[in-house]
Amino acid sequence: MPELYVPAQLEDALGFMGEHAGLALPVAGGTDVLIDLRIGRATPKWLVDLSPLEALAGLAFDGETLRIGALTRIRTIELDAEVARRAPAVVEAARVLGSVQIRTMATVGGNICHATPSAEMPPALLVHDAVATVAGPDGERSLSLSELFSGPGKTTLENSELLTAVTLRAPKERSGSCYLRQTVRWSMDLAGVGVAAAVETDGAVVTGARVALCAVAPVPLLVAEAADAVVGTELTTETAVEAAARAAAACSPITDARGTAEYRRQVVAVLVARALRIAWLRATGEWPAGVPAPINGVLSGEGA
Amino acid sequence: MRLELTVNRDPYRREVAPDASLLTVLRDDLGLTGTKWGCMTGDCGACTVLVDGEPVVSCLQLAQQVQGGEVTTVEGLGRDGELGDIQAAFVRNGAAQCGFCTPGMIVAAEALLRHNAAAGEAEIREGLAGNLCRCTGYNKIVDAVLEVGRARSAAT
Amino acid sequence: MSGLLVGAILRSPHPHARIRSIDISAAEQLPGVHAVVHAGNVEQRPFGYNHDNLPLKGDKVRFIGDELAAVAAIDEETARQALELIRVDYELLPAVFDPFEALDESSPPIHDELPDLEGNVAMRWDFDHGDVAAAEAEAAVIVEGTYSSPQAAPAAIETHVVIAAFDPDGHLTVWSPVHMVFMYRKELADCLGLDWQQITIIQPPVGGSFGGKIDIDPHDFITVMLARKARRPVRLVLSREDEFIGTRTRQPIHFKLRTGADAEGKLLFRDAEIVSDNGAYNGWGSHAMLVAMNTITSMYRVPASRVRCAVTYTNKNYGGSVRGFGNPQATFAVEQQMEELADALGMDPMDVRLRNANQPADVTPQGMEITSCGLTECLQIVREQSGWDERRGKLRERHRGLGAAAYIHVGGGARIYGSDGCGAMVKVDDSGQITLISGSSELGQGSETALAMIVAEEMHVPLEAVHVINSNTDVKPWDVGVHASRTTFVAGNAARMAAADARDQLLETAAELLEAPVDRLRIVDGTVGVVDDPERRMDYARLVRRRLLREQGSVVMATAFYDPPTEMQKEYRGNISAAYGFGAHVAEVEVDPDTGMVRLLNLWTAHDVGRAINPMLCEGQIEGGAAMGIGLALSEELVIFDGRIAAPNLHDYGLPTALDVPRIVVNLVETIDPRGPFGAKGIGEGGIIPPAAAIANAIADATGIRPREYPMRPWKVKGWIDTQERSIVVRNDA
Ligand SMILES: Cc1cc2nc3c(=O)[nH]c(=O)nc-3n(C[C@@H](O)[C@@H](O)[C@H](O)COP(=O)(O)OP(=O)(O)OC[C@H]3O[C@@H](n4cnc5c(N)ncnc54)[C@H](O)[C@@H]3O)c2cc1C
Ligand code: FES
Ligand code: FES
Repeated sequence: MPELYVPAQLEDALGFMGEHAGLALPVAGGTDVLIDLRIGRATPKWLVDLSPLEALAGLAFDGETLRIGALTRIRTIELDAEVARRAPAVVEAARVLGSVQIRTMATVGGNICHATPSAEMPPALLVHDAVATVAGPDGERSLSLSELFSGPGKTTLENSELLTAVTLRAPKERSGSCYLRQTVRWSMDLAGVGVAAAVETDGAVVTGARVALCAVAPVPLLVAEAADAVVGTELTTETAVEAAARAAAACSPITDARGTAEYRRQVVAVLVARALRIAWLRATGEWPAGVPAPINGVLSGEGA
Repeated sequence: MRLELTVNRDPYRREVAPDASLLTVLRDDLGLTGTKWGCMTGDCGACTVLVDGEPVVSCLQLAQQVQGGEVTTVEGLGRDGELGDIQAAFVRNGAAQCGFCTPGMIVAAEALLRHNAAAGEAEIREGLAGNLCRCTGYNKIVDAVLEVGRARSAAT
Repeated sequence: MSGLLVGAILRSPHPHARIRSIDISAAEQLPGVHAVVHAGNVEQRPFGYNHDNLPLKGDKVRFIGDELAAVAAIDEETARQALELIRVDYELLPAVFDPFEALDESSPPIHDELPDLEGNVAMRWDFDHGDVAAAEAEAAVIVEGTYSSPQAAPAAIETHVVIAAFDPDGHLTVWSPVHMVFMYRKELADCLGLDWQQITIIQPPVGGSFGGKIDIDPHDFITVMLARKARRPVRLVLSREDEFIGTRTRQPIHFKLRTGADAEGKLLFRDAEIVSDNGAYNGWGSHAMLVAMNTITSMYRVPASRVRCAVTYTNKNYGGSVRGFGNPQATFAVEQQMEELADALGMDPMDVRLRNANQPADVTPQGMEITSCGLTECLQIVREQSGWDERRGKLRERHRGLGAAAYIHVGGGARIYGSDGCGAMVKVDDSGQITLISGSSELGQGSETALAMIVAEEMHVPLEAVHVINSNTDVKPWDVGVHASRTTFVAGNAARMAAADARDQLLETAAELLEAPVDRLRIVDGTVGVVDDPERRMDYARLVRRRLLREQGSVVMATAFYDPPTEMQKEYRGNISAAYGFGAHVAEVEVDPDTGMVRLLNLWTAHDVGRAINPMLCEGQIEGGAAMGIGLALSEELVIFDGRIAAPNLHDYGLPTALDVPRIVVNLVETIDPRGPFGAKGIGEGGIIPPAAAIANAIADATGIRPREYPMRPWKVKGWIDTQERSIVVRNDA
């Protein structure tokens, strides 16, 4: 049975983790950790409770960037109007994650650091150029979020480091993003395929784009060649399809209880095209403000 | 490890294992067995309680993180031995069959209605999606919550 | 309960292996361990329908999850450690996972101890009626296809919990959620060599069952073995994972079906080959095939039928008697072919259904005597409400579609044991309180309320005046158990008979005390009065006291036993149930053809319930059943790779959430069955039967493809769209 250490501030936590390198496991919301402990996937000697570190929780905006503290709850993100305006993909990913109860507990930092291949926040954050801030015994360092992942359940964090925040580029004007996923159930389901896209425009053509995927590779993937296919175009259905084909080629899904590899690749192609289109419509103001995308881009279940 | 918390307005102090879940503490240490469990993986919602007014699945809630906090279980939602309004609406609408999901469902419904008493059917279904019921098919649960929502909205 | 120990079970990690040895010595030494049991140190005899199963396996394990040994310890942690200390030496054997491979003579034998098995076929059931060959020659249209279902779970939200405790004098009390309590008691005694007069079974409130808790399971015996060995009470609680791995499931059934009709859409024949993948052992669950057979021969009027069934052993968790019992699987085949036939004929599927609908007074080829039958009305209602005539076949551009399915199911008990009866006692005490002691059990389906209402109605008292006791075998009279949607019908009739008798006893006393003949007495609200003389009246409490508190007094107490007028089937013929339930559903779906994701938009249902004694409870049963049917259709499956359930958790299993189930429209059709209590028929299973078929038909309407199996998870739908899976019309002369 592990012991619990409750730090008062970040320095205490980092100090403790340094002293017990390899033996201490941070707990944020605990929605992954308590399961890992129960099934023996994690067998730490110490648990380090991050929840008192209030400085690590919360959202901050300054013009172009949005800082999301690692301890920010998914529910907080889901309900935030400013994030919805600037980074709709992030809110869409938050909205479909687990249940209200899970979202109330789970933190964005935990979702990232558990590095589950199907975790949904990473792709949504990646298309907004997320930069991770990491604190360690020797101070802070920053790296692009994609550099944080090294394999299923694995990150490049050192034993004694903690993720403190992710910072997004989230301009308000002429940009749009979107997160879509494929699942079996309409809720309480992990993504079989998750896709995020973001687009910026000068009013005429795409000036910048990002496409990211989850659940179709050992780590969340930012697919540059897919995004490149739409830059300089008026994001038409054809260019979106070309981008989607490139994304499908770039991923490496597996077959498991949640779908076959071949199917997942097909779905990547479909959802990337849809997500890009919706992001474009948002960037150009053609998508009604404040209206979330249907979870796979088309089936709303409305008109029922 | 020492744990102090308030449950349904009563203060408790106990020695509990450092990695104990809130569910274990409620059921085994405090004997409050109204809160049920069906999975221990966060999937069924039977163990839902409010921590400082917000809904959590107590099976995945580290008890120590609730240190000094306020917990409300289904037992805390009725008053003076009477059924709370949601409980009464569940009975009237036939929203409980075996009743096993009901405590978690009622707590989740309480959280939902506190957030928005005027929630419509779609919002209610979304808000209760983390609470599985195998018996009712959800129609009557949704009806019960709609009814309470209307009554509470009218009262304010 | 003081001294209560925690039980835990060691299960096989291998699908098929011979056990060379089990070493429990280290586990026994662990402080805090009070008993370790395995096949080598307990008394046990085979149990189950085929007597092919032992609680603790000694020679072989036959699926991943098979019970090998168990411990009783002071707490969970100690019990878990003790299990880890048990050493088992296995010799791995080749396994059979595919039921079609199991049909083969040369497949590795799973039950080598059972003589005379051909391959791994546990049972074969064949049925012939009429001249199929002649009907086939005559048919204008014939459709053919395969239809399959997966391993699914009842998945009640509460898992199994069993407590066993011996008194110092050897009397055993077991607290168990089982439905068939009296059979359970006998099986416990027979298997463990106990005196069954010295066993009491108590049923605490049950957090849902759906057939998952119907029968005795190995863990029931094991809990008793542990309590016996430890000489302390033992509680065994199954984790969710154990619940999926080690308790009964809905067996996969594979159908190859041909249906033929004439040019007017009148059915001529059905020809079915059915293979059930029943897993490692045969409990009563193997009989799901009988229900499947009923549906093939008797859903709609079918003049000729040929059915060939094989129940196979495979190295997987074994099948139980899950709600619907073979019928959702069979209806998935039969009702898809109704629409396939209609489409081939260019007719409306509802018209084809109505042309062939069962009618009151029909006797089906298997000898099922239909009394009341509201099938036609049910079909008409859902047709109308769904806008079927205007919308079916016209929504494809919007990727939407409508599909229908109907069902027939036993609704007045099902005689598969010597008796299908239930006992009841009604007593009225000196306070006027009425107590019904029923043989039946409450599993959360609300039967207690329905029974109380029947008694209240019969005795002219408000519902609150009736108490129901039904949870203790020491107290309650015999009942075969809760299954086959029989409780309202059978236990209801018994309760009604006993209540009528108790009422008559009160009337007899009233006649004497009020000095009026019985035919001049009226009961209003528990008070007996003389017609036209408001002064002369007396309430039940006074009547009872006056009857009791006198010389040669007596109590008001009545007993009854109701066994429905049915017969055991011989050669699959005979009237197995006293009444049959019918119903029809229409589903509307939207399909995303590019991802194969399906959203169920609407489900309209109409059910012939005989009489709705409590409409809210009837609706609840139908809505809950339909939600399970929706789960079967779209999401629920225990995905198995090489005999191993890939993800035994509620996340991957796919129980429908409040967002997966749309608002279900329920219509209760009352046909007032001549034999049911106040005309009521059973309704516990009807709701789950049609959704998978109706949803498959709706997907076909939306896309043009023909689903071949459920659950219709997105990748399967997408696969059928990609390969253009179509209906197979082998003849079309229409
Ligand atoms: C029923 C259920 C449904 C779910 N559905 C979804 C879903 O739909 N989509 C989805 O993406 N996820 C889903 N999840 C998983 C999701 O809840 C978690 O990934 C969650 O986001 C993790 O956050 P946490 O705060 O609970 O992390 P914890 O469990 O506390 O921690 C997770 C991991 O991250 C580490 N960690 C946490 N914070 C830090 C930090 N600041 N620095 C370094 N390491 C840290 C921990 O040591 C641990 O290894 C579901 C979970 C459950 C139980
Ligand atoms: S027991 Fe906590 S969610 Fe199921
Ligand atoms: S009432 Fe039984 S699980 Fe909901």
